[in-house]
Amino acid sequence: MLLNIKDLICKAGDFILGPVNISLERGSYLALFGPSGSGKSLFLETIAGIRRAESGSIMIDGNECIYLPPQKRPVAMLFQDYALFPHLSVFENIAFALKMRGEDKVHQIKRVDELCRYLSIEKLKSREPDSLSGGEKQRVALARAIAPEPLILLLDEPLSALDENLRGEASELLRKINLLGITIIHVTHNKEEIAGVASQTQHFPPESKF
Amino acid sequence: MRDQSYYNKTRIIFIFLGGVLLLFLIAPLVGMFLSVKAPLLFDAIKDQQVTSSITRTLLISFIATMFCSLFALPLAYILARKKFPLKGVVEAIIDIPIVIPHSAAGIAVLGFISRDSVVGSVASSLGFNLVGSTAAIGIAMAFVSIPFLITSARDGFAAVPQRLERAAETLGASPFKVFTKISLPLAKRSVVSGMVLMFARGMSEFGAIVIVAYHPMTTPVLIFDRFNSFGLDYARPIAAIFIVVTVVIFLIMRIYQKR
Repeated sequence: MLLNIKDLICKAGDFILGPVNISLERGSYLALFGPSGSGKSLFLETIAGIRRAESGSIMIDGNECIYLPPQKRPVAMLFQDYALFPHLSVFENIAFALKMRGEDKVHQIKRVDELCRYLSIEKLKSREPDSLSGGEKQRVALARAIAPEPLILLLDEPLSALDENLRGEASELLRKINLLGITIIHVTHNKEEIAGVASQTQHFPPESKF
Repeated sequence: MRDQSYYNKTRIIFIFLGGVLLLFLIAPLVGMFLSVKAPLLFDAIKDQQVTSSITRTLLISFIATMFCSLFALPLAYILARKKFPLKGVVEAIIDIPIVIPHSAAGIAVLGFISRDSVVGSVASSLGFNLVGSTAAIGIAMAFVSIPFLITSARDGFAAVPQRLERAAETLGASPFKVFTKISLPLAKRSVVSGMVLMFARGMSEFGAIVIVAYHPMTTPVLIFDRFNSFGLDYARPIAAIFIVVTVVIFLIMRIYQKR
């Protein structure tokens, strides 16, 4: 089991989510769908370590991560609006995580090139994020998220900011990322969005009581 | 039709009122520049005391700004990002130097650095007499001008979307790296504006400095000294030169902000 979440309780203001129990095999693609305000983003942010859990356990690859800060967790997150750094170029955005991990410049260039080829964004490397289209931003954000080779990729409504005609292509892209062996948790309020993409789907919040 | 004419009348009244205010700000400065006697202006430009006071004023204000930034930026960041008990009190404390008379600020700083204070006695035991030193000028400048930096930087940090900082954390950035690589560059414009404001406010300070250190003279003190000793004609050229320096700095800041 790659991910084992047990009795996880998260809190944001007066809102309490949980206890949530989820287990995931390596390489699986779990889609969680639930209405707006059901705590989907809160759940992802707690797994990523951006928010502190009230109680429970998050085991990733056999290691307890509940007390680890976000930068020490083998988890990456794709934010709903992609959260690209506007003052950095596409190359610098993608290389950000590698730089933070102290990777040398040669490795950074090699890895960014490899990801850009895989996601067909080679021509965007020197561009600023503000000059990109929605679809291009998503590809860059995905490349940035998977650059440090995370074990788990968290997707927060990844298709909601895209036009209808780009969603099919984007879903295909997510499947492609999953084929790299990265375990994915995808949350959305739109059940149609995950049809045919995920290997498992579940209503959110699963096994929870308020 | 009636609405349109009503709107035009309002606009004319507003333009008139605004124009009066602009005139009020510009007229004394223009009048001063027109009243400067050319020979006295050239004398002032060549006067060693004037040039050294301007250099001293700019240098001390610059050093005070850079040194205080080390403390002000972390505080501004905390104020922008964290909620904590008595935060309102902390913000009020930061604003105190703006609301108190600067002569009173000078008295307070003098008490803080005089030989019978803790700071003054420690400095004295190390062989420094703070009162009447360039350090005292720097402390007085910092005391009255630091709120401008903290407020501007705090607003700049608050405007940085928190989700970008969170994204950086999930990408492996430590809190310090998040600050240096994301928050600070994105708030750069406000931070630099705050630093320029602090620098400009510090170098134009008179009230607090004249109490803690009449000598060595900063330019505002020198202007006062020349006025007191020789009269308006001799103070005016130095004031004109110093205003030009100040305006140039503000122009650079405006150009930077508009970029």
